[in-house]
Amino acid sequence: MSPGTEADAATSKGVMTTRVPALLVMHADLASALLRAAERVTGPFDDVTVLSNDGLSGPELERRIEEAVAGWAHGGLVLTDFWGGSCHICGSAALRGHGEIALLTGINLPVLIDYLHNRDRYGVDELAERLSRKGQESIRVQHGRAQ
Amino acid sequence: MSWMTQRVDDRLIHGQVVIAWGERLRPDRIVIADDAAASNDWERDLLTSAAPGVNVRVLTVTEAAAEHGAEAQRAGGAFLLMRDLETALTLVELGARIPVLTLGGLHYAPGKDKISDYVYLDEADRRAARSLIARGVRLEVQDVPASRPQPLESLDPALRTA
Repeated sequence: MSPGTEADAATSKGVMTTRVPALLVMHADLASALLRAAERVTGPFDDVTVLSNDGLSGPELERRIEEAVAGWAHGGLVLTDFWGGSCHICGSAALRGHGEIALLTGINLPVLIDYLHNRDRYGVDELAERLSRKGQESIRVQHGRAQ
Repeated sequence: MSWMTQRVDDRLIHGQVVIAWGERLRPDRIVIADDAAASNDWERDLLTSAAPGVNVRVLTVTEAAAEHGAEAQRAGGAFLLMRDLETALTLVELGARIPVLTLGGLHYAPGKDKISDYVYLDEADRRAARSLIARGVRLEVQDVPASRPQPLESLDPALRTA
């Protein structure tokens, strides 16, 4: 992507920001499929971890999320598919005591792409707010037209 | 009407409960019988916020047993969720009437045998299962409404020969 777009106004220029890491926790193969789809749009990227809840008990899913975020020195984002699912519930449980990590639900492709474009420009909280807004804005209705 | 489903699932509230069963049966209430969750403010708050539009209560097993009969008489429908078979057995021993217990998810852990894709049992689970069956509880393996419920004994030879 080209630097210097809308995000500049919100960025403290000249201040180095640390990349915000992300863990995608979703049902079935959704996280890895979203990642592949995002790569089609943005080109290859790294530093995103994926985890499926397939076949995992609640405690085991929680343990694996804890393990995946344990190395995050400056926090990060846990991105999950829907509110009330085990990815959200176990993710929230795994983040007890991790105030520097934020969890989002309802992640779609536009949100993931926006994350990839902005993960080096914002801190965890600002990025979480931005992605929440982007996700809500990304769903629009377009009607067909009668001729 | 009240109890619409009484379910054992190590994930307690999750997508299959909230979405698959929730959209099909439209419960007014979800009761979670779990001593650990009931004694932890943080976990209780998380679970009670997990199913928007449904009243979720997290009770100790003793509290849930005490309320079980009254809840069965209430208007509207409710789900009962428990983490394991031992909890279900304790509820039944304390007087809860559970004619059918759905095994929706008891996932793999070391020492557990595979019974189905989402049910794994060890000897302690089987002891609880046998006691429940002896008390007249029908144990059915079923994750979502669209899948066919199967009697646990038909999937686990160790229960049949016991």
